[in-house]
Amino acid sequence: MIMENEERTEKYNEDALRYSEYYKGKIQTMSKVPVRSLDDFSIWYTPGVAAVSRKIATDHDLSFELTGRWNTIAILTDGTRVLGLGNIGPEAAMPVMEGKALIFNYLGGVNAIPVPIRVSSREEFVSVAKSLEPSFGGINLEDIESPKCFFLLETLQKEMNIPVWHDDQLGTASITLAGIINSIRIVGKKIEEVKVVFNGAGAANIAAAYLFKAAGFKKENIILVDSKGVLQPERQDMDSLMLNNPWKYQLAIETNGERVKGDLKEALKGADILISAAKSGPDTVDAKLVKEMNNDPIVFVLANPIPEMWPEEAKENGAKIVATGRSDFPNQINNSLVFPGVFRGVLDARAKGVNFDVMVAASYEIANFVEEPTAEKIVPTMEEWELYPRLASAVATKTVELGLARKIDSKEGFYKRARDIIENNRNIYRKMMDLGLIRMMPNGERKY
Amino acid sequence: MVNVNIRRMKKEDMESVMDQLLRLKRLNSEFDCIFNVSEQSKADIEKYINKIMNSDDHVLLVAELDNKITGILFADILFRIYYEPKYEARIREFYVMPEYRRNGIGKKLIDALKRELDPKGITFITAEFPALNLIAQNFYKKIGYREIVTIYGQIH
Repeated sequence: MIMENEERTEKYNEDALRYSEYYKGKIQTMSKVPVRSLDDFSIWYTPGVAAVSRKIATDHDLSFELTGRWNTIAILTDGTRVLGLGNIGPEAAMPVMEGKALIFNYLGGVNAIPVPIRVSSREEFVSVAKSLEPSFGGINLEDIESPKCFFLLETLQKEMNIPVWHDDQLGTASITLAGIINSIRIVGKKIEEVKVVFNGAGAANIAAAYLFKAAGFKKENIILVDSKGVLQPERQDMDSLMLNNPWKYQLAIETNGERVKGDLKEALKGADILISAAKSGPDTVDAKLVKEMNNDPIVFVLANPIPEMWPEEAKENGAKIVATGRSDFPNQINNSLVFPGVFRGVLDARAKGVNFDVMVAASYEIANFVEEPTAEKIVPTMEEWELYPRLASAVATKTVELGLARKIDSKEGFYKRARDIIENNRNIYRKMMDLGLIRMMPNGERKY
Repeated sequence: MVNVNIRRMKKEDMESVMDQLLRLKRLNSEFDCIFNVSEQSKADIEKYINKIMNSDDHVLLVAELDNKITGILFADILFRIYYEPKYEARIREFYVMPEYRRNGIGKKLIDALKRELDPKGITFITAEFPALNLIAQNFYKKIGYREIVTIYGQIH
């Protein structure tokens, strides 16, 4: 199986290089207004456009009504932690940001503009992001090293009047929570009683720990484990964490009510849930450790490309439900299920921000989308595109409830709007491909 | 605010105090590599603490909560030959365990130091810490202290 995957990856790599050369980029801007004669330019540009600008000058929020700002977001990165590639800089981050923009557009109907930036400090990043606010309805932070990403997210969420999202933290945390909600339903346990162990304390797991807290999991029942062992307030690196990673520091103090010390094995004793987002496996976590857990253990091994333990081994050792980050196993925990719908929702509500309460609502909507969850099906798949308008509607409704929305509508109203936008966008894609306006790949259909 | 007991350090506190002292020194090394901690000198440190524990020239305080040492403060009494006031208490070691911070324990330790100094007529308290330690800077500024001495250094 590994060999097959490696071969496939190799093929994808070759194709990506060849097709990137052929298409020279994955997205482009395209006019959505009719241009039939020079006369139309007098409307869309000078002199007519001045009237629109004058109107917006009287009320800046009108830019959400009279320009494309309502549906446009920036994908901002400094290129410091790109995929598994590390700090490769903003230029090299561009292909990834374009890919993300494509997914935003295809699944969520969002105009996402890749904006890799060259900045030398956190403060400079904040300054650039804030200066971009008038052009966008939201900001998606992407592939930024930790703990800088926490600082940026926290600062920008506080200081900007549009939603700021960091997908590596919030998207992954939301889909993880959604999967856990259904897993808990299946095994018949209660959120406020289960003990959760997070293995790995990077951006995703730290955000997930905060999100789980917001969702009603008891912080005392949460334990984080990193390469130095169980996170607890007496650890020798606490002062360093306080200075360099206050978010992790705070969790070290708040979580682990029993003050467990030691390694993952100690943490897992009697645990109901293991969420591992650590080093790619397959033996990063010894599958036998599942035996240390409570009855009906839930095991999420999310490292890519190889999970921390193979799902079969986890099951052999007693795991009731297993999820991974891969599409070729059941239960793929994939943040692409989250961000297109979340942004559709916050944009449709012209939201001023997004927070953990909105994310909890999003996670429940994703979980509820799976009508009859089973151990092999706890989350939707990316093909179930109906998820996205439903998620958008739930998110938009929550922002209204929380007073974050500039535009008020019913849940059904938001749903219809999101569905129309996404469906219309998919039709445009289909039509353009049918007409050959989006060119087919030079060697025809791909088949692996 | 937690109900912490501030008292003089006893011999039985040695292990916890040493642990906190070394944590403090490791924290200092985060600010400047000149404070690289020598873990080998533990025995010498223990000997030194034993020596100054009951000396009139030093004040060694601990914060105790539920039989657990949660913070320490060591101050040296210095004679100022050229200046008035003639005596100064300089805080050289000051640490509160991470879990117990933001509970007013630091302030209570300083208040207890003042109480120790009152009978000796010492009214001038200073604090020494690495120049780049913004946490300490902010703490002392918050309780009304200001910068009065600067030390520069270089290893040749």
